Amino acid sequence: PAIPEGVPSDTKTNREGVLVDEFGLPQIPAT
Amino acid sequence: MTHWFHRNPLKATAPVSFSLYGVAASTGANKICNDLKATRARLLELLTDVTANAEMLKNATDAYFSLLQGFIISLDGTTQENKLRFIQNFKWTDTLQGNTPSAQQDAVFELVSMEFNVALWYTKFGSRMSGKEDMTENEAKEVHGSLKTAAGIFRHLKDSYIPRLITPAEKGRDLEARVIDSYIIQCQAEAQEVTIARAVELKHNASLVAALAYETANFYQKSDHTLTSLEPDYTAKWRKYLQLKQCFYMAYAYCYHGQTLLASDKCGESIRSLQEAEKFFGKAEDLCKEYRQTKGPGNIAKPSEQLFFRKLGSLIRNTLEKCQRENGFIYFQKVPPEAPQLELKANYGLVEPIPFEFPALHPQWSPEVYASFDLTKGPKDDKEASIQQVAKLEATDMTKQKAP
Repeated sequence: PAIPEGVPSDTKTNREGVLVDEFGLPQIPAT
Repeated sequence: MTHWFHRNPLKATAPVSFSLYGVAASTGANKICNDLKATRARLLELLTDVTANAEMLKNATDAYFSLLQGFIISLDGTTQENKLRFIQNFKWTDTLQGNTPSAQQDAVFELVSMEFNVALWYTKFGSRMSGKEDMTENEAKEVHGSLKTAAGIFRHLKDSYIPRLITPAEKGRDLEARVIDSYIIQCQAEAQEVTIARAVELKHNASLVAALAYETANFYQKSDHTLTSLEPDYTAKWRKYLQLKQCFYMAYAYCYHGQTLLASDKCGESIRSLQEAEKFFGKAEDLCKEYRQTKGPGNIAKPSEQLFFRKLGSLIRNTLEKCQRENGFIYFQKVPPEAPQLELKANYGLVEPIPFEFPALHPQWSPEVYASFDLTKGPKDDKEASIQQVAKLEATDMTKQKAP
């Protein structure tokens, strides 16, 4: 297997491909 | 962040010795029986230990379930039922029905009952931790995770193991679909409460908060409606909780929706939305009183005096006053007679249960050890009951096969 790039983090994306945190909230506050 | 959640009591059980004298005819078999007794007792002890954490509980759960599975899954390479499944009797009470126990001589009944209790522990652990006023981000994550784990366990039981029981659960018992569904939805709604609090803290968009609060109110309503056809004697208090949370989150949704309307210069509609928030908040306050006065399983609490409750009350009042002031100075808009329709869909923060996975079978179990359990030498009563259960299971299977 390929060497993983980067480090594990809480970062995930939702169905629309937006970066979300562990609570499923967008990473960057919208306001 | 601080939260308050209603909790039903844990299930109680009678001690199980796993003393299969004569049947456990080898050292390996004897060791498994002794370890089953010890790991079961250890797990039960931890369930009521307030100093226990999730890691300790997971280790204890894995230790017991990895052994207990040897009484359930096929260990002789055939598709036949495990010969040990019906050898031991287990007694459990239910969360809603006081001290009246159910008993089944079936290891699957033990597994689902114990796992149910483990799920309840996660809900109680999350609840204990979420009551703190100065909860850190990591603690919030742990509360959120505990509630999602509990929801995943309940769902796993419902989908995978409860259908395997030979004796179906009676009305209002924990393993009955309505009760378990209500627990699953409640856990999801409560985890979303944690997310809503975080969204507010991080100053996310008001429309995001309104949509998530609205969906959370709907979850509480669904959980409450699931219990409608059960006896009020034992569901009334729980249902008051679900109803008060539904009203509370409707108030939340209208409050934040009002802020969204104000931001787009719809001041009149915004005032109407906040008036609706006040109405739902008042209903939630009344339900808090009714909750306190209702007898039934659960804790004695004054939810309307909790910080989370009072904070929303002042936010609604302040926002409404602000909107009315601005309308008097700037907008001069008419306040519509009808409250705005909330057709909000949450794109963020909806909670899905964490899928639960069983631990691997304990290495002590081998085909040889399994073979060394000799059922012909068991205590007479247990043996007869076990044979009856197998016959009943075979009859059930035959019925299933005949069904179209």
